[in-house]
Amino acid sequence: MKLDLIFTGVGGQGVVVLSDIFCEAALLEGFDVAKAEIHGMAQRGGSISAHVRIGDKVLSPLIETGKSDIIVGFEILETARALPMLKAKGTVLVNTKYIPPNSITQGNAKPVKPEALISLIKEKALHVHEIDGIGIAQKLGNLLVVNTVLLGAVSALPENPLKQDSFKQAIASRLKEKYINLNLQAFELGRESVLLS
Amino acid sequence: MASKIAVDKPGSFMLLNGDEAVARGAVEAGIKVAAAYPGTPSTEILEAIAEVAKPLGIYAEWSVNEIVSMAVVAGASMAGVRSIVSMKHVGLNVAADAAMTLAYTGVLGGLVIAVCDDPAMHSSQNEQDTRYFSVHSNIPLLDAGSPQEAYEMTREAFEISEKLNLPIIVRLTTRVAHGKARVKIGEFLKLARKAEFDKDGSKWVMVPSNAMRQHRILKGRLAEAGKLVNSSKHNVLDDNHKTIGIIGSGIGYYHAKSILDSEKFSWLKLGFVYPFPHELVRKFASKLEKIIVVEELRPYIEDNLRGLDVEVLGKQKLKLEEIGEFTPDTIRAALSEIGLCAEVQLPENLGLPIRPPVLCPGCPHRAFYYALNTVNQFVSCNPQKCVGCDICELACSWEKEQVFNPSKSRIRAVRLDQILNMTITCRDCKNAPCIVACPEDALSQSTETGAITVDADKCDGCGWCIEACEYGAVTLHPTTRKAIICDTCNGEPKCVEICPEGALSFLGRTTDKIVTGDIGCYTLGFVPPVNTVQTCLCMGAGISQAAGMAHAGVKDKVFAVIGDSTFFHGGMPGLLNIAYNKANVCVVILDNRIVAMTGHQPTPGSGKNAMGDDAKMMKLDEISKSLGIEQVKIVDPYDVDGTRQTIQEILDYNGPSVIISERPCPLKIPKNPAREITEKCNACGVCVTSFGCPAISLTSERAEIDATLCVGCGVCEALCPFNAIRSTE
Repeated sequence: MKLDLIFTGVGGQGVVVLSDIFCEAALLEGFDVAKAEIHGMAQRGGSISAHVRIGDKVLSPLIETGKSDIIVGFEILETARALPMLKAKGTVLVNTKYIPPNSITQGNAKPVKPEALISLIKEKALHVHEIDGIGIAQKLGNLLVVNTVLLGAVSALPENPLKQDSFKQAIASRLKEKYINLNLQAFELGRESVLLS
Repeated sequence: MASKIAVDKPGSFMLLNGDEAVARGAVEAGIKVAAAYPGTPSTEILEAIAEVAKPLGIYAEWSVNEIVSMAVVAGASMAGVRSIVSMKHVGLNVAADAAMTLAYTGVLGGLVIAVCDDPAMHSSQNEQDTRYFSVHSNIPLLDAGSPQEAYEMTREAFEISEKLNLPIIVRLTTRVAHGKARVKIGEFLKLARKAEFDKDGSKWVMVPSNAMRQHRILKGRLAEAGKLVNSSKHNVLDDNHKTIGIIGSGIGYYHAKSILDSEKFSWLKLGFVYPFPHELVRKFASKLEKIIVVEELRPYIEDNLRGLDVEVLGKQKLKLEEIGEFTPDTIRAALSEIGLCAEVQLPENLGLPIRPPVLCPGCPHRAFYYALNTVNQFVSCNPQKCVGCDICELACSWEKEQVFNPSKSRIRAVRLDQILNMTITCRDCKNAPCIVACPEDALSQSTETGAITVDADKCDGCGWCIEACEYGAVTLHPTTRKAIICDTCNGEPKCVEICPEGALSFLGRTTDKIVTGDIGCYTLGFVPPVNTVQTCLCMGAGISQAAGMAHAGVKDKVFAVIGDSTFFHGGMPGLLNIAYNKANVCVVILDNRIVAMTGHQPTPGSGKNAMGDDAKMMKLDEISKSLGIEQVKIVDPYDVDGTRQTIQEILDYNGPSVIISERPCPLKIPKNPAREITEKCNACGVCVTSFGCPAISLTSERAEIDATLCVGCGVCEALCPFNAIRSTE
């Protein structure tokens, strides 16, 4: 068994934390795990992505171009940016949130339409799951749980070899006590958003 | 999270990044002292140790800089206990003075120097290869290629250090330090060490006579190390009896192993790389026809293979560059050229807009830069370009009164001599003499832009303002007989736009100021639209670069911006120097009370230390004054008007000065209510294209604020010219 995933988004959205929890869940089930991430120049607002590889034995933490099984995108433009990493007939899970980059707001790049990016994603991937993470998080009254919604969605993908319980255990070990229940609810709603679609 | 490095379950697995793995190795090895200055990607080493320090009886500190931390652990080692110091590659330059001679004195308690190199400069200013620092300093080096190795090497490095009486470097690269992986941990050593210093040892006193002896001793210790490397468990020979062998160190080795068919080659993974294991490598090479060397940055291993009777393929003959980092893609591209693997898949260029790193929403640095950028704006003319065509006058009168009549213009073209022309407009002086002179109180100045406006109802055309203006920028309107003064067309002067010779410019952005930068979040002030920071060399250099420019005689006022932690680290000698040598430089200390860029570590100004205890809170104004600066001002950068006024005062002051811009990093304090755009917005764009807050975007009709990004700093609300921004509460 092996599974390669790219988690991508904008700094501050929780890409690092979410990919950590995924790795912890894999570790609980005895998989070898390697993950690469970059803590870049900016604390917030830059592109950020994490490579996650799980399997019986993992040597390099970096995924080759065109070989990722799944892309988990927190933001539409960053999801599109990661597409060259996706294997043929791969799966993309995308949070339908668009954050215009500085290059566009400052007029140094041509504006892009989020709808056009979604079309591009659908053109390059076999399975695309659009998740309204913010809408779901709003229902729970806390915008900070968007990434847990996405984790729930990942857990519902057919490619995912990990058990729900492992994710829940990993969430519980990573978060403060008072946020655990809220995040477990977010996880469930994320799962449903894929299972019911 | 990091507290798991204290978990006492030998043989279990945990998910650790390379930094945490180093911390775990050090804690298991029984360290008593740990010291560091934060620096990506090494920061999490001390962070992880500090988190578990107290219960384990360890002392951990954020030192003010790397050479201080190096000397702290040198002292701990001289007292006989084990200690670790950690830093990024460029931090080792700062600590080099201590490290070079520490190799001479040697150590008593095991001492490990953990150094994180940053190939590809994910967050650095250069790509040093620390293996060459080992060659330079004679300090043995272990090179980790995974978190597991980082853990094992660190733990063993303490044994090696005490065996050889030398400090040992454990080197990581960014992908190892910030990559997480499954790590199998071991048990805590129970050391019963008492801290004692042997006062009689002349080996600690590095005067020439003693140092000569110690240099000879060092060479002897290195010869000992040279024997260890050939049998080290960190140098792993995997002989598959093939004709092609692959030698690698660091993470590149694992990239290569993951893309090649492992069975078809013989492999040698070098971990203990300095001194170089010549004997082991000769043995490996003896059965081979060809060796491929996979190592990031400099050709250290490759250079050590010279003289072997085998073909060596590395930096010279393969596309394994010295620049940047290796990925499985780059290695595949290089090795497929000689037919060792399938071709690399090139990433398709989707033509998407880049997302450059920016200052965060609510960042006080942005607010300060905005004030610095917008102070004292006026239209200036370059006489070398002005041809005296007077089109600016026509443009002005048309813009203001819809007539083409130079006598109704706010800008005046004048002839300096027969061949030299220029124009004159209002300079927006501070404490403007025209305003003071007006007996009717008809003139007023905008605190926002500095522009002076005339109240036509009050003006009686007496002309005192014309007398008062040194520049001759005020005139009397030919028909109304009221004073007329340039109002800069609300920041978009028509004359500048229309001048066919490009002779006019709107000064007051960074064009009349030089701004040297330093290392920290605030370096991002070079990104549009802020465009303020113009240099970045190394920690603390900005102040002295500014002084150098001022002494060289640049005509513009020089500002040096530096963060509070960088100031404590390397800025204080520079400040003392400009006070002593009287440089006309304004040092701006951007004080957010934290080391923000590396993930919010405390500074000497935070009032907390690494282990979370209360600490004396050092005051930047007192330090500045005690270093000899007489002009020390404190501003709140969110108060843009007040900040502009202070900057204006400093622009008029000749001599060394300090402005302290005080606001905590917004990521560490509770958010205020988000701001929202009201119907008054006319999409003028000041908040986006001039201020540049990433939480605000612009359509052709109006601006929009993303409530998930806004932290409620309220600066946009204050600077919106149309009062079109308000709090959501």
